[in-house]
Amino acid sequence: MNNIKHRFEVIKAVALVTYKEWSAYRTHSMVSIFVGPVYFLVQYFIWNAVYGNQGAALHGLELEQMLRYYGAIALIGYLTMDFADWNLQMLVHSGKFLTFQLRPIHHRFFALSQKLGHRVLGFLFEFLPCFLIFQFIFKIDMIPKYLGFTIISILFAFFMNFYVNYCIGLSAFWLVQASGIRNVFQALSSVFSGALIPLVFFPDFIQKLLFFLPFQYTTYVPAMVFSGSYTLAGISMSIPQIVLLQGIILLLTIGLSEVLYRRAIYRFTAAGG
Amino acid sequence: MKKYLMIYKESMRVSIASAATYRANFILHSIITLLGNIVFPLVTLLIYGSGASFEGWSMYEVLLIQSIFTMSTGLSNMFFGGMVWNTMEHVREGTFETVLIKPVDCMFYLLATNFGIHSFGVVAGGMVVFIISLVHVGNATIVMWLQFLLLFLMGLFVMLGMELLMAATSFKWVANSRIPEMYGSVRQFGNYPQTIFNKSIIYLTSFILPVGMIGFFPASALLGRLEWWMLVSIFPCILFLMLGIWVYRYMVRLYEGVGG
Repeated sequence: MNNIKHRFEVIKAVALVTYKEWSAYRTHSMVSIFVGPVYFLVQYFIWNAVYGNQGAALHGLELEQMLRYYGAIALIGYLTMDFADWNLQMLVHSGKFLTFQLRPIHHRFFALSQKLGHRVLGFLFEFLPCFLIFQFIFKIDMIPKYLGFTIISILFAFFMNFYVNYCIGLSAFWLVQASGIRNVFQALSSVFSGALIPLVFFPDFIQKLLFFLPFQYTTYVPAMVFSGSYTLAGISMSIPQIVLLQGIILLLTIGLSEVLYRRAIYRFTAAGG
Repeated sequence: MKKYLMIYKESMRVSIASAATYRANFILHSIITLLGNIVFPLVTLLIYGSGASFEGWSMYEVLLIQSIFTMSTGLSNMFFGGMVWNTMEHVREGTFETVLIKPVDCMFYLLATNFGIHSFGVVAGGMVVFIISLVHVGNATIVMWLQFLLLFLMGLFVMLGMELLMAATSFKWVANSRIPEMYGSVRQFGNYPQTIFNKSIIYLTSFILPVGMIGFFPASALLGRLEWWMLVSIFPCILFLMLGIWVYRYMVRLYEGVGG
């Protein structure tokens, strides 16, 4: 019990300091109030042009559902955004990771607490304004069908994003300069997470493959839970089922991150930090 | 002039040598940008693959627009993409003096020393899609090619102008690392047929912030769809570059260092 209390105190302290630190760059976060709606506007015209020509639903999605999907993708992105991979590879590359080895706290736990503080800022200065813009200016209904499951799914996506990125960052212990592998992962993620286009547009064999890769669990799954129905590769799941699957994949990812961390730490060398 | 060419050549050599230091990383990065840019028109492919389309545009016509957009942004990243980050970093760290005391024009020096070979994959990927699209949309006449080259160059002018304007803001708005994202979002309007947008956006992206010149207008020249008002848009492009150069030179004078 004391351990849990202590951990909670650590999370609170690190998250608060990170929040204060990044609050100094509030305008940095607030750029999203411009960028998010502009990207959305581009999608708005693209899909209006496509549906205007097509008329019927595409892969079971009507125009309004498609626009809701892109709105949800943008908002979920603000809540789950992560750069743990960049941070970790920078610490390894520069040798500063050594300073974390001397602290009585696991680096991964510290990084997760930092992310928490950083995303609270994202919630206030990115999520809320953009939610209001989508809801009241674009007049897109941004209220999720199942609020409770949507919150759980976004929380899972939050942790999934972190643990996956942390695993990518750990590659720096082998490669020193891990930006190449980060770029590979980010390129794959941008395509296969569903941020670019709903995954049901992909060929069937890719859709099947995506069940076994981490990408859809960070973006497509929470966006579909938000929409109220989930289908991929012709498989429809109820919302509780897909959220449960997302939770299981998250647990596996946490396990993988632990195994990788234990192996990686043996490779660490630094010259003073 | 000879001195400046020598400096640029040397900067390119250093950039390549620097990339070669972490060879595995560089090769991985180049391959992924090459592949990433061959599949970049994925949304277009998937939309047309599902039987839908942009009215009045074949898939290869849209791909042609997007490949030109990619080549243009790749070249921009390679030759002047590092300008913003480097200026920002120097101002934030208070080391811009080390640039100012060099016996060359500081704007040129920063452009030259930020040559980025890592964007080669983007240009190559764009070129592959460009050639595939051209094969499918038919032959262009010499006049069309000349129009294309002129408009493509104007697109680069817009991007250089924008890079300089963004870099110039660093002298007053320190640590504004997300400014390029704002430009990147607006630039997306140049990646699609302008006919899908409403009139105010077409006006904005043709004459105010002429991002239509990055992909759509040069592609229109090759497709024989060029209209007179697209040529008028050349003037805002030139003005944009001149404005960028002027603002950057003006803002440099406002730099307040702390000793370097």
